[in-house]
Amino acid sequence: MADDALIAHYLRRLTFGPHPGRIEELAASGAPAALEALLDPSPLPYDEPGLGTDDDYGVMRRWYLSLLRQREAGLHERMVWFWHGLLTSSLHKAEPLMMFRQQVTLRDHALGNFRDLLQAITIDGAMLAWLDGSGSRWEAPNENYARELMELFSLGKGNYSEDDVRAGAKALSGYWIDYEDSLTVMFDDESGPQGSVSFLGVDVDSAEAAINAVCDHEACAPHIAAQIFEYFVGRQPDPDERARFGSIMRDNDLDIRATVEAIVRDSVFNTVPTLESMRPRSPIEWFLAAEALLDVELDEWVLRLFGQVPMEPPNVAGWPGGRRWLSTSAALTRAQFGYDMAFDTAVEDDDPVAAVLARAGLLNVSESTAGALRQAVDSLESRRDKASVAHALVLSSPEFALS
Amino acid sequence: MEPELSPHNTRSSRGSGVNRRELLKWMSFGAGAAASGTGIFLVGNQMGRASSPLPSQLTQPPGTAPGDTLPPETIGETIDTTPDTAAPMTPMQEPSGRPRTLVVIEMSGGNDGMSMLVPYGNSAYYELRPSTAIAVDTVIPINEEVGLHPQLARLSKRRFAVVQGVGSNNSDGSHFEMERRWWMGDPDGTGVHDTGAFGRIADGIGDPSAPAVAVSVGNGQHQALLSKVVGTLSMSGPDQAGYLVNADESDTIRRAFQAGLVAMSSGSSDGYAGMARTVMAQSIEFARRLMDLDSVDADGDGTPDNGVVYPGGDLGQGLLLASRLIHSNSGVQVIHVPMGANFDTHENHNEQYWNNMSVLDEALDAFLADLDQRGSADDVLVMTTSEFGRRVPDNGSGGLDHGAASHTLLFGPMATGLFGKHPSLTDLDHDSLRATCTLDQYYATVASGWFGLDGPSLFNGASVIPDIFV
Repeated sequence: MADDALIAHYLRRLTFGPHPGRIEELAASGAPAALEALLDPSPLPYDEPGLGTDDDYGVMRRWYLSLLRQREAGLHERMVWFWHGLLTSSLHKAEPLMMFRQQVTLRDHALGNFRDLLQAITIDGAMLAWLDGSGSRWEAPNENYARELMELFSLGKGNYSEDDVRAGAKALSGYWIDYEDSLTVMFDDESGPQGSVSFLGVDVDSAEAAINAVCDHEACAPHIAAQIFEYFVGRQPDPDERARFGSIMRDNDLDIRATVEAIVRDSVFNTVPTLESMRPRSPIEWFLAAEALLDVELDEWVLRLFGQVPMEPPNVAGWPGGRRWLSTSAALTRAQFGYDMAFDTAVEDDDPVAAVLARAGLLNVSESTAGALRQAVDSLESRRDKASVAHALVLSSPEFALS
Repeated sequence: MEPELSPHNTRSSRGSGVNRRELLKWMSFGAGAAASGTGIFLVGNQMGRASSPLPSQLTQPPGTAPGDTLPPETIGETIDTTPDTAAPMTPMQEPSGRPRTLVVIEMSGGNDGMSMLVPYGNSAYYELRPSTAIAVDTVIPINEEVGLHPQLARLSKRRFAVVQGVGSNNSDGSHFEMERRWWMGDPDGTGVHDTGAFGRIADGIGDPSAPAVAVSVGNGQHQALLSKVVGTLSMSGPDQAGYLVNADESDTIRRAFQAGLVAMSSGSSDGYAGMARTVMAQSIEFARRLMDLDSVDADGDGTPDNGVVYPGGDLGQGLLLASRLIHSNSGVQVIHVPMGANFDTHENHNEQYWNNMSVLDEALDAFLADLDQRGSADDVLVMTTSEFGRRVPDNGSGGLDHGAASHTLLFGPMATGLFGKHPSLTDLDHDSLRATCTLDQYYATVASGWFGLDGPSLFNGASVIPDIFV
């Protein structure tokens, strides 16, 4: 039973589940073996999205959702989502084909080396469009990417100056997107760096040199390791943890997989959480878990109401986390869809409450939730009504809103 | 066995997703919500074309007496504008019996003040902005020096005031840092506040027993609404309230569901689980008030019963929700409406900004017309905010990078005209306008003038801008 609770925790944090039946499957060989299985870094195979329709934006979003909702989506897919939120870009400025190419980049490097990933994303078409790197010229550089590169993507505030932003923008100049020809990323010598600039204390004369300067900066590994820590552990690291996992990432030459494994195998992650120590589920996590529970595909409109549509982050900082997803509006949306989606659901079991909780992977619910479920089910006559209300309340419950 | 057809049966088998249009119908969202759902993809349709001809009466907005212009040589220096104190306002008078309400429209991304209040009489403006300046003949003049963006034609006929040069004396280039400072009422980023700017105001005016005194329209608990005394919350639309309360007697499943929600919302308040319970209880109580007392849309068809048409999109639908909150005795007195439009115009500034002003003009004008019709125009003050303005010079890609000070707008029963000093266009700080009014002065002015609070004590001792509220 303790193993089951730990495996449920792994499945909530390392996959987008738990999908019904997965806890039981993995429990057969115990929690340690389950963790090894879930640390498998293999990517999901994918087909190209089939663009060229009159709804390419929708095609692109649904292509991504179709991967996220696979039962086999594991650690690699989890990390693709992480990078999509951190090194983010949006369909609001980048075309669908660019967003697909960015996904290929994120998938190639999701558990690889951060330096390679940052080099690749810096000259990625969607990113050049999203943060205005495209068309930025040495004489009059656009500062947008240079600033966010350091503030959000690598170092954090306080580790660079406004002069570094201006210098970085010059070093990053010269790239443009050929909208006439397959949206290819091009480099133009004449508008690119015409010399070197002092950037983070290093003389750099190209985008590649600038990214190397960023990755060599002492603040880089702790900043990225802290983001990965928060993603899996569900809170920000304290200063000791930040330093410890930052060192691990730096000592491993910014290897992402080594950093993830160090965090996940550590007791900060590898412990059964109490109900009080769980973190809020983000809308995409709630949405995919709700789909898995009900065995349905929901429309992406649900995600739009929550404010978390894949490929459409609200701004350059991606999606905020934490208590934001426990807001009133999120509670209203969960109740609304919990109620609508659970209609006419069925369970075979004679005890619909136990059956629905087990399918949802909720092995630890509060007395008030258990009592509410029991009371609601007892107040109704037909099996179908009992199953419907049990599903609706589980989907609306505080427990299902947490991970 | 085939499942019985039900309007609530939005479940589909794997492989056939729920059609969004169907879902909308079931959810009884109006066309406006549908439009906002497609988000920015609608924006491109009306890109900066049509330059609307200027009716001559627009050249003299309310509150600007003929001849009340500024000497041309002083713009861009330090101008003490003369507020039009002749325009009568309605101090603390509440003919409708409604409490005073503040509606905050946040222009996220960094609103370029100089495109909103165009210094068209200043040659430096045209010299520094070869690609983004607004042509003289399209500006809606306020005086010989400054005028409104051409797309603000409707709003130029409303009662409005401009507060010039609002920002920080120590501005930062980061969106997130400056948003946080605006949300917390902390211009220099050095203060320690445990409440947000609007949460603090709500704490000062509201009824602690009301489920919510301040509401943010949208998803997620908003930092600006952090409070200590009264409840604040966020919601994305009014129709969701019907899921939480008021099930028909005959609808046994919905009744069981709603009873279950009430039962689940009790229990320990520890951790995030406790927070989820508390939020659920708060939501249920708020939904009860909103549903019981709604008078804006009694027939429930998603549009106001008085015939005012709110446009689709985040701002229009957000202001429609604001109208419902104001007219339902919900206890809400501060309503924060983030504008979905993107003001972060590093590129294609002119087209994007044109669209943004069109959205503001249409949606806010509809809201003000709605207030007029319901006799509540004297109960509501609208203020705009934005984390920063933009650089004075163009950036070379048809856009404007992050700047510092900007201008803000007020609508409602205050004095009209220009307030504060227009920042200099020649004495710049890193190519950005220097603030002539700090954001906490702006907040303190509204807190004192509109709600009768001690604004300076709420906002770092900042002084009140004189003459806006008489």
